[in-house]
Amino acid sequence: MRISLGMVLALCLAGLQFIAVTIVVFSSFLTSEKVLLTHARDLLSDVGTNTIEHSKGFLKPARGAAELATRLAESEVISSDNFEQLEKLLFQQLQISPQFAGVFYGDQTGNFVYVMRSGGPGPFRSKMIMWKEGDRFTDLIWRDNSYSIVEQRNDPSDTYDPRSRPWYQTASDQQGSIWTDPYIFFTSQTPGITAASPVFDTLGNLRGVVGVDIEIDAISEFLSRLNVGKSGSALILNRNGDVIAHPNQELIRTRNADGTFRFVNISEIGDPVARAAFGHLKNATDLSVDREISSRFDYGGSTYVSTVMPVISEELPWTIAVYAPEADFTGQIKANRTQNVWIAATIALISGIFGLVLANYIHKPVRAFAVRSSLVSQGEVSASEPLPNTYRELERANKTLVQAIAERKKSEAEFGRTFDLASRGMAQMQAKTGQITRVNARFADMLGYTDAEILKLTAHDISHPDDPVAAFFFEDRGNTRSEYLHEKRLLRKDGGVIWVSENVIVIRDDAGTPLHAVVTVDDITERKASERKIQQLNWDLSHSSRVNAMGQMATSLAHELNQPLLAITQNMDSALFLLKENAGDIADLETILQETDNQAHRAGDIIKALRGFVKKDGAEKAEFDFEELLEQTLQLMRSEAKEHGVHITTAASGVDPVYGSRVQIAQVLVNLLRNAIEAIAEGGGDARQITLSASNIDNGVMIDVVDTGPGFDPTNDLFEQFETTKEDGMGLGLSICRTIVESHGGKLWYQTDENGHSRFCFTIPALVPKRAQEKLDEFSA
Amino acid sequence: MNSVPEPCVFIVDDDDDIRTSLSRALRTRGYLTETFSSATDFLDACGPDQSGCLILDYGMPGMSGLELQELLVTRGYSLPVIFITGHGGVPESVRAMKLGAIDFLEKPFRQEVLIKQIDAALELDAQGRRGRDRARNAKERFEKLTDREKEIAEILVSNPSSASSKDVARHLDISPRTVDHHRARILEKLRVNSVAELVDLCISTKLFEKP
Repeated sequence: MRISLGMVLALCLAGLQFIAVTIVVFSSFLTSEKVLLTHARDLLSDVGTNTIEHSKGFLKPARGAAELATRLAESEVISSDNFEQLEKLLFQQLQISPQFAGVFYGDQTGNFVYVMRSGGPGPFRSKMIMWKEGDRFTDLIWRDNSYSIVEQRNDPSDTYDPRSRPWYQTASDQQGSIWTDPYIFFTSQTPGITAASPVFDTLGNLRGVVGVDIEIDAISEFLSRLNVGKSGSALILNRNGDVIAHPNQELIRTRNADGTFRFVNISEIGDPVARAAFGHLKNATDLSVDREISSRFDYGGSTYVSTVMPVISEELPWTIAVYAPEADFTGQIKANRTQNVWIAATIALISGIFGLVLANYIHKPVRAFAVRSSLVSQGEVSASEPLPNTYRELERANKTLVQAIAERKKSEAEFGRTFDLASRGMAQMQAKTGQITRVNARFADMLGYTDAEILKLTAHDISHPDDPVAAFFFEDRGNTRSEYLHEKRLLRKDGGVIWVSENVIVIRDDAGTPLHAVVTVDDITERKASERKIQQLNWDLSHSSRVNAMGQMATSLAHELNQPLLAITQNMDSALFLLKENAGDIADLETILQETDNQAHRAGDIIKALRGFVKKDGAEKAEFDFEELLEQTLQLMRSEAKEHGVHITTAASGVDPVYGSRVQIAQVLVNLLRNAIEAIAEGGGDARQITLSASNIDNGVMIDVVDTGPGFDPTNDLFEQFETTKEDGMGLGLSICRTIVESHGGKLWYQTDENGHSRFCFTIPALVPKRAQEKLDEFSA
Repeated sequence: MNSVPEPCVFIVDDDDDIRTSLSRALRTRGYLTETFSSATDFLDACGPDQSGCLILDYGMPGMSGLELQELLVTRGYSLPVIFITGHGGVPESVRAMKLGAIDFLEKPFRQEVLIKQIDAALELDAQGRRGRDRARNAKERFEKLTDREKEIAEILVSNPSSASSKDVARHLDISPRTVDHHRARILEKLRVNSVAELVDLCISTKLFEKP
């Protein structure tokens, strides 16, 4: 289907705009979102890392303090039973480390020194448990910053035994520094953690354990100060899923039924977003991830991004979890993007409309031109009328078109006149059916019909049944022939037959399908008649030429006949003599008589060949044995050749039968042989040789006559009538030969062979069926 | 080949059937025959001394009968020739007869005619042969004469009417007695009895004809 130019322009201008804008928007949409998400994850990851480092830094002094105390205890700088000195040492440590809640030492005997910050009478309080000779003494001492005692009293009701505490047992079991799980300090009700380190004597025996309590609410405060996006949070989970740090400290504590405090689990925390994000991380295997895990989730209609960091260390099996609403990072940009899409859509719409308007503007002259062209072609508008304002290209096209139209009209008019007034018969016929659709007066006249009568007929109706009708009027599939030319007979209305030369010109459409044919016919009936007359004359001529040839042959033929006759008389003489003398036996006689018989047949054969040659023929054609003809002809010519000392060799075996007039072909052979003999007789030479060969070719037989004579002057047309090189010749021989060969559908030509010898060749078609097939092919091709 | 003691009828014809039938017919009648299919075959096989006669086909490919006849004459063959021909033209037959052919028979011919001509030819050949023998003998004997005797013999033969001893003596400026003596020697050496016989011998053997 052809699309209009206007449509193409509109589609191109508007469509391209739309596609371009869409691609730009879509691409920026995808890339910006991807970049933002990566950015958000990086940010969360940074927060996590930051928190990890902060936590480590926060807890590091505690361990240092514990280890320092341990080293001091072990080095016996401070005697382990000198608890006053130990208390002072622990006090100093506590004082310089604000995050420490308390520092303590317990030994194997159950002695215990505990220096801690206090809200009581002094800022610091020491608890000393001493065992002396099986009795236990517990003192509580409050001190101020300068280590002066503010208040002191006994607490006999105290039952605290350091050796039973988890920090003591764990450190002594592990024989190294340990961290306890976070817990809520009893006294301060704040979350904390204890670092403990065992103390050994010089022999390696455990003497006691040094411990440091650290309040980790400072970590929660750090978390609350962190900016995670606009409204994101970071929290720290212990390996059992307890939330040990959260920006809102109040959320991480809960009271047990017995009034003590514990951490809330992540699945029960009062921060619903955190619960949604990390509520599933309830046990150690969920929490102990070894790399960052980022994810997205929806809560309350908003999308959040979250990251879970790997566990800080084996000693601190804490997991940092960070979450933030995605909108914190992408909200602005999403809003911006939506705006961009709207802007782009508007631009696309506007430019699309503009494109349509432009397309219409460009197309307008073309449309006007198209309308005008169709009006011109329908004849409603004169082609000479001025063209509307248009493009230069169209103007040129218009010029050509106008010319073409003018010429077409002219040629149509001329053709119509030519057709009607032509002196040749013309007809137009439909493809396949052969229906005659238009004829001129001459055509109708030629066939003796009126116009009205003949328009009811088809090509088949007026063709002679024995003559071919152009293939065009049958199945024409795959045929690309555009012209047929042949001579055939047409049937007149009165039953008469006329010979015509018919020229069929096939008109096809672009696809090659035939539409109709214009048939031009010339009446050649008279020409045909005179051709027949000429042919008859030719036959007569060829016959008299044969008779003439016969005359030339007579003497040598007489000799040829005399040979067997002599042999017969000689044999008869021998036989008679033997009989008379009563000599010889029957076998001898039989041989002699047998040979005599052979000789008689030999003479008979010659006479037969002779009769066959002189016979007046009606040019009836039939299939015949070419080799036999060759043999007979040689019999006729042998003596003549011999007379001139010429030797004839033949090469012809397995030659196919040919189709034609036997006597005429014989005439050609005799003529060529005689010419060759005469050429040698006149031209001399030592070879004196004629080589006659016949061989099968496609669809026939080719005969070669080569003589060792002097050859011909190439300027002579050998085959022209009355052209002769012989003193007593009429110049008819070769001309008749050629006529004969050509009337058989063969060819006769002369050439000089490689040795400079004359060579006459001619071809004769083969069997009847082949020939007939050929004829059929010729017409259907 | 060699000299055949028996006279032989040589047949030269390119037609196998003719050769066979002719040769057979003649052999049946007791002639010795030999056949050749071409002139050259015959020339290769037989030398000039052959005795007999030649039956020659006039028209043959290659060397024709007439050409062979000319060649035989040139080479000094003495065989009498009988031509046989399929189409005897007068000019050809005249030419052949001029060259000494016995006859020019047109095929087919009556057998008695051929036989007659063969016999004539063989007789001619035999005569010729005899004549040639005599001439050769005469020549041999003549060569035995002295130069003076040869001179006198030539004078005697060339002018037999005035060949008296006196005439000759005067002609040669010698005595008649010497001439008589020489004459007696000549007659004796040439084995003749008289001057008349001497003249006959010399003419019949062409003794003084210059070749």
